Amino acid sequence: MSKRILIVDDEEVIRKFLRIHLTKLGYEVTEAEDGEKAIEKIEGGKFDLIICDVMMPNKNGWEVVKEVKSNPELNEIPIILLTAKNDEVDMFKGYELGANYYMTKPFTKDQLLYGLKLMFEEAS
Amino acid sequence: MTSYLILLGRGRVVDSNLSHLLVFGYLISNVIITFFPSSWFSNPRFFYPLVIVDTGVVLLGMYLSEKMVTDFYLVFFMIIIFASMSRSFKLLMFIGGATALLYGFLLYSWGLLISEHGSSYALRIPFIFIMTAFYGYLVQTLTSEKRRELSISEDKYRGLFENANEGIIILKDPSLQIADVNREVEKVTHYANEELLQMGYFDLFRPEENEKARIYLNEVIEKGERRVDDLSLKKRDGAFFEADLSIKRIGLGEESFFQMIFRDITEKKRLERKIIESKRNLEAIFDGIGDQLSIQSPDFEILRVNKSVIERHSTTFTNLIGRKCYEAYYQKTSPCQGCPLSVTIGTRQPASSTLKFPEIEKVQQIFSYPVSDEKGKLLYLIEYVKDVTEEQRLKEQLIQSEKLAGIGILASGVAHEINNPLSGIIGMAEIVLEEEDPSKNRSYLMDILTCGQRIAEIVNGLRAYSRTAKGGELGAIDLHEVLETSLKMVQLATKSVPVEVIKKFRPIEKIKANPGEIQQVFTNLITNAFQAMNGRGGNLILSSRSLKDFVEIKVSDSGVGISPRYLNQIFDPFFTTKKTGEGTGLGLNIVYRIVTKYEGTIEVESTEGVGTTFTIKFPKWRDEL
Repeated sequence: MSKRILIVDDEEVIRKFLRIHLTKLGYEVTEAEDGEKAIEKIEGGKFDLIICDVMMPNKNGWEVVKEVKSNPELNEIPIILLTAKNDEVDMFKGYELGANYYMTKPFTKDQLLYGLKLMFEEAS
Repeated sequence: MTSYLILLGRGRVVDSNLSHLLVFGYLISNVIITFFPSSWFSNPRFFYPLVIVDTGVVLLGMYLSEKMVTDFYLVFFMIIIFASMSRSFKLLMFIGGATALLYGFLLYSWGLLISEHGSSYALRIPFIFIMTAFYGYLVQTLTSEKRRELSISEDKYRGLFENANEGIIILKDPSLQIADVNREVEKVTHYANEELLQMGYFDLFRPEENEKARIYLNEVIEKGERRVDDLSLKKRDGAFFEADLSIKRIGLGEESFFQMIFRDITEKKRLERKIIESKRNLEAIFDGIGDQLSIQSPDFEILRVNKSVIERHSTTFTNLIGRKCYEAYYQKTSPCQGCPLSVTIGTRQPASSTLKFPEIEKVQQIFSYPVSDEKGKLLYLIEYVKDVTEEQRLKEQLIQSEKLAGIGILASGVAHEINNPLSGIIGMAEIVLEEEDPSKNRSYLMDILTCGQRIAEIVNGLRAYSRTAKGGELGAIDLHEVLETSLKMVQLATKSVPVEVIKKFRPIEKIKANPGEIQQVFTNLITNAFQAMNGRGGNLILSSRSLKDFVEIKVSDSGVGISPRYLNQIFDPFFTTKKTGEGTGLGLNIVYRIVTKYEGTIEVESTEGVGTTFTIKFPKWRDEL
């Protein structure tokens, strides 16, 4: 059975290329365009990985991480945070809240694969 | 001479040799007495014995001549002399009566009253009394008149003496004992009158100044009069006071005295010293001021300068005094352009301005203050020159760094904004490279194109910002346009703050300003508004309207608001409520300076927890009229 990944980003083009890459790699992809919708979807379906942007309207990436990691039923799901800000403080803040990996935009397919590998090896 | 002829001439009354001698001696002594100083006769200790001796001698002469009986009436002349000196009319009458009775008794006992000339002898008795009374009355009247005059003049003198504001001491010469003092002396020295009358000249001074007092007195003796103000007089309790002292040698009758007049000048000297001290202090302050201070005449002539002026212009005092300031300082032939002294000369009001002096490579802030007389005539100008070259440089640097900081904030926002489409481009490009079905690529390439266009748009915006920020040119500005650009720039940097922007623009006129500066004003205000709404969201309302002479822009937020106690400080430079490192406190100060530079106004209203509104008014551009 293929692993389920939730992509959360307010930028359509980013969701689009992630979806194409991940679908090709054989994952089952679901999308959400902001933090609020993401939380709804996470609570509704079982995901193996969440790839989440930080700067978003309504709920931002940090709030999503906080909610997921504080929920005992969901806190096992690994989260990769994406950010357009190349800022160390932001990165530490993400890890502190419980994010499992942190990727700064722009990133290549190889960097994405490395992140996926890291997450799934860790999980298994 | 008459007496001599009567006594010794033909038919003389005196016979024996002893009588001759006596009469001669009597006359000679009387002649000698007439040479005595007249003042002796007013001295009773001299006069009364003289009269008694004189009377005794006459009586003795009469007795020795054995003509006592016939000549006793001569005694009445003595009585007249008494009368002339006597102050008591009653006593005189008593003596006159007694003499008349005594003479009557003698006439009676010698049996003369019943002699052939008895009646003529008897007539002498009342005659003596009547003449005594007559002369007595005459002399009394005359002397009392004179005495009254004397007492009036003495009262006058005494009054002057006693009531004088100066202390007056009369010293005997040569004993230098005090003969008299006035009340002022007692008042000032606290000695009692009796104590003073026991003292001498040197007791009045401090022992260590006795030598000085001696020299002083010698000068008085030499020149008759002398005045000094460097001696101190002693008080009863040993304290002393500085005195203005004048001693004069005077004669009262035949006696000589020293009249010493003094005035307590301790207070005067203290004030003098104080004046000298404060003058010295003021001079020290004048010279000590690190900024340049000068006093100039209303025609720019330098009258007085402090040390800083001399040092700043590397010159000397004499090189500057009397010259025109513009000539002496800057080698100009007319007053400097924009000099505040010219303003003060015209308005009689203080003025100031900051001027650049390329001649000495300085920026100087010049203050001028008028000094006028009571009629308002301008006497002097005080010019205060402060070198603000360094200050100006730092200020410009700060403004520059604030601009840079603003650009930094924008840059990080811009980076974020660019990184998203950039991710899209890279991601989609990789997909295109891998895609085996070329028909799908068109859609991917469209995405790449869109992302590229977004980046181009951002870069264009940035270029526009940097261009306006740099340009120093004044131009007609459409405030709506600038508001839009500023809003866009701020939104790029603060995208995560959920703010709804409401624009209520009405048609407004253009203003004349530097577009970069106006952009800075709006960027600052909008950034503040976004920061105030961070974490809570809200509305940003940008509104505009046209007033009579002004155009008005309002920037309102529904943020946290400003505490009333900070409201009057927010435009102060370096005032910030943000944490160290987060804000320089210059943002609103720059806003204020820019707005006021264009003769605009800025007002703020704020309620904590509700929001803040900044209202800016700029004068309409009227150049084209």
